Amino acid sequence: MVTEGAHPPKVIVTKIGFDGHDRGSRLVAAFLRDAGMEVIYTPPWQEVATVVKLAIEEDAEVIGISSLATDHLLVPRLMNALRDAGVKDVQVIVGGIVPARDEKLLLEAGVARVFHPGTSLEEIAHEIRNLAMRARAMREKETP
Amino acid sequence: MNKPDSAKLFESELEQAEQRWQDSYDASAGAEKDSVNRSGIEIKPLYTPQDRAGKDFFSEIGFPGEYPNTRGIYASMHRGRSWTQRQLIGWGVPEDYNARLKDILAHGGTALSLIPCNSVYRGYDADEVPPELLGTCGVVVNSIEDMDIALADVPLDRISCALNDPSPFTLLALLLAVAKRRAIPWSKITGTSNQSDYLSHSVANHMFFRLALPGARRVITDHIEFANESLPGWNPLSVVGQHTQQAGATPAEAMGFTLAAALQYAEDCIARGMDPDRFLPRFTFFFDISISFFEEIAKFRAGRRLWARYARERLGAKDPKSWRFKFHGQTSGVDLTRQQPLNNIARVTVQAMAGIFGGLQSLHTDGYDEAVSVPTAEAARIAIATQNILREESQLTDVIDPLGGSYYVETLTDQMEQQIEAVIARIDAAGGMYKAVEKGLVQQMIGESAMAHQSKIESGAQTVVGVNAFRIEEDPYEYRSQPYPDPASIAAQSARLTAFKKNRSNAATSHALDDLARAAQGTENIMAHTVAAADAGATHGEICAVLRRELGFGQPLAVV
Amino acid sequence: MVIDAEWLQRIRAGDRRTIARAITSLENDPACTEGLRAALAPYTGHAHVVGITGPAGAGKSTLVNALVGEFLRRGHSIAVVAVDPSSPFTGGAVLGDRIRMAEHQAHERVFIRSLAARGHAGGLSRTTAQVVDVLDAAGFDLVLVETVGAGQSDVAIAKLARTRVVVYPPGLGDEIQALKAGVLEIADILVVNKSDLPGADRTARDLRAMPARRGERTRRAVLKTASTTGDGVAQLANAIMEREPRNPGEDSDAITMQSPPR
Repeated sequence: MVTEGAHPPKVIVTKIGFDGHDRGSRLVAAFLRDAGMEVIYTPPWQEVATVVKLAIEEDAEVIGISSLATDHLLVPRLMNALRDAGVKDVQVIVGGIVPARDEKLLLEAGVARVFHPGTSLEEIAHEIRNLAMRARAMREKETP
Repeated sequence: MNKPDSAKLFESELEQAEQRWQDSYDASAGAEKDSVNRSGIEIKPLYTPQDRAGKDFFSEIGFPGEYPNTRGIYASMHRGRSWTQRQLIGWGVPEDYNARLKDILAHGGTALSLIPCNSVYRGYDADEVPPELLGTCGVVVNSIEDMDIALADVPLDRISCALNDPSPFTLLALLLAVAKRRAIPWSKITGTSNQSDYLSHSVANHMFFRLALPGARRVITDHIEFANESLPGWNPLSVVGQHTQQAGATPAEAMGFTLAAALQYAEDCIARGMDPDRFLPRFTFFFDISISFFEEIAKFRAGRRLWARYARERLGAKDPKSWRFKFHGQTSGVDLTRQQPLNNIARVTVQAMAGIFGGLQSLHTDGYDEAVSVPTAEAARIAIATQNILREESQLTDVIDPLGGSYYVETLTDQMEQQIEAVIARIDAAGGMYKAVEKGLVQQMIGESAMAHQSKIESGAQTVVGVNAFRIEEDPYEYRSQPYPDPASIAAQSARLTAFKKNRSNAATSHALDDLARAAQGTENIMAHTVAAADAGATHGEICAVLRRELGFGQPLAVV
Repeated sequence: MVIDAEWLQRIRAGDRRTIARAITSLENDPACTEGLRAALAPYTGHAHVVGITGPAGAGKSTLVNALVGEFLRRGHSIAVVAVDPSSPFTGGAVLGDRIRMAEHQAHERVFIRSLAARGHAGGLSRTTAQVVDVLDAAGFDLVLVETVGAGQSDVAIAKLARTRVVVYPPGLGDEIQALKAGVLEIADILVVNKSDLPGADRTARDLRAMPARRGERTRRAVLKTASTTGDGVAQLANAIMEREPRNPGEDSDAITMQSPPR
């Protein structure tokens, strides 16, 4: 039984693609720290392959992708790359400007949740915590 | 100093009247409400002549077009000539850009601003990046051919061009190559390298790193020198306050960082042996305009006054043209909401007015769908119509600096000036903007301010209509947003690039790129070689690749 | 996590997921520590463990990044363990050291793991030593451990690392005299980073003038580096590699020595 208090959620906050606006991702990273989580924060412009490597090395439970422009269009590639690398339990969320028509696309690709502008940091942190617990539960079922 | 009796009498009457008013106010006002603006300045309910006691009109306010330019950099300002209506446009392939540009020019745009695709910002050509990212937020321009198509039927000798192209200014190089092919002398080309401020990019990451900071530093100075010598109508430098403010800096901080950066760029030019009176008249600025109405007006007036003083006293410029604070303002997308997007039309109107009262020379107004996507044609038309209405219908431009003399606005201008100077002092203490950026100081200040603002919104202390108050149930599909470029047209664009590379003289191109590399290794002017390389058929990505190799790839420094 | 022959094989083969999972288990499940230590014991002692400490502002992470680049050029495989403090109030942490190591983080011969100190005193996390063992058994040539600040962590790193590097910014001035004796006792190599800034030469001189360790015949190395330009980094790498044991079994901390480095 996974208890929440066991150890802090491990979260990567990152940006892929070309856009560099990182105000939102920095705020989220700081807020998650203040909410007691361990955050691997990266600057923008990460390659998809690098994010996968990061997720493996840091054994992250949740990956938060921040997207202002249209970089969320790369997220399906990330989901595929994670699957190809055998990473099955990491929960991926996307926050930022995502047109409604693309939100469906992302959820179908395996993204756990899409956050839009105006969502409170509190709500984001709450959901990330839940997703971290989900990742843990999935791991407990996995063979080592 | 002995005041005449009438002055003393006035002062005493004033004090009494103020006390009477204060008593009425205290008795009548509703819940006690403190008001602090974004820069942290406390705002009183009323300002009176008392607030202006002891101030010197001529040294602080003066007349428009006269040092220190508080009321405006020109004698006639918007009454004489309206601000330039320069709307940012960029999406899809060059043909798409050209079509939207013509539409805006037909509807009131008076100058052009081209925003390239994010792939261009990152220094890549279309054949180097995932196709799904091409043309979604800016126009794909990689070659002379692309630039020529984008600017088809545009009279380059009569229209001012802002190219939102950071180092190494390849888009300008492509523009110059196009001008040459159209037999337009470079002396007739006017415009601005709108995003040349590398320091602001490195802290706010709004535009994308291509070169390591020391290399970029040299490229900017080379660029300024080249423009001073070969492009008399071009502003090679636009020091950008927009990015730091959008990243979370308060208005005072954004102005402070911007002036500090401008001082660094100027000092580098002086160290290169350039005469301030030669390059300062071609220094321009670019600011975010938030919805904090009076704060923005005071920010601009204070900035204008400070720059005049710095130019004259700190940089030693003697020509009044060198003291002018020329700036472009863009309404802030950060204040716009995804919820009830049509509300953003009202927001943009308030922001635009603040910029106009602040005395800008050039204005971009956002589309109402800014928080959702690149603007649709309809949103873009409303944005430019907003400027037309303000200019033609509201009589805003009848009076130069109409808020000058306001007890509030003059006091707030002084207070903003103090805040701005405090920021500059902090940067100076750190050794100037380059050092402050390397240390992470600027990023830290921005992050703290961003968190403070966010906390206010989340706690409800700052109301945002439609987001934390006055919410409605909305169907997210209701608002039409600009579609992504047609994959077929993107594929055609990539094919065009391939054909271009095949049809040019590859010998000439290689040769020019080798010259560029050699220049970067030595001390020749890099911009001159960039221009030559573009003229010889080199593409944007090829030029960036050479300079990245020679000058180093910039790794962003993120501070949380 | 089940520690069996298959698991051990994956660790020794350098399987990244298994390594990372093992580290996570160590962090979160104290009960597995002993079993893991016992399983790995025969296979540790091969990696050159380098501790990198020093006060905040010395540019440790940037220097680690430069060192990683240098070691990669020499054909080595490198693991980096970057320890960051946890907030004493919330228990959270932003593990930001690896931001400055972006240049090489994608390389297949590089493995970077960030650890939160989680309130453990001494600048290391409770489990850093075992984490190092995992990376050692996984076959990395070098394991660089970057810790929080100076002072206690310098002492904690002593037991862990074969080579102890302490990095200072230039311009220490009078603070040199106040440096804890313990720090200098432990350090094998002292580095003045950001040597392009004023005061670097002076700081290096002052460090050289500090008393040698008791009974030490050779002076510890004092080097100047500028991690942003690369100056001095090759020399630092040399100084570290000079401390490789020349003969198998020479390193008394190891239980056994591996055959020549992979």
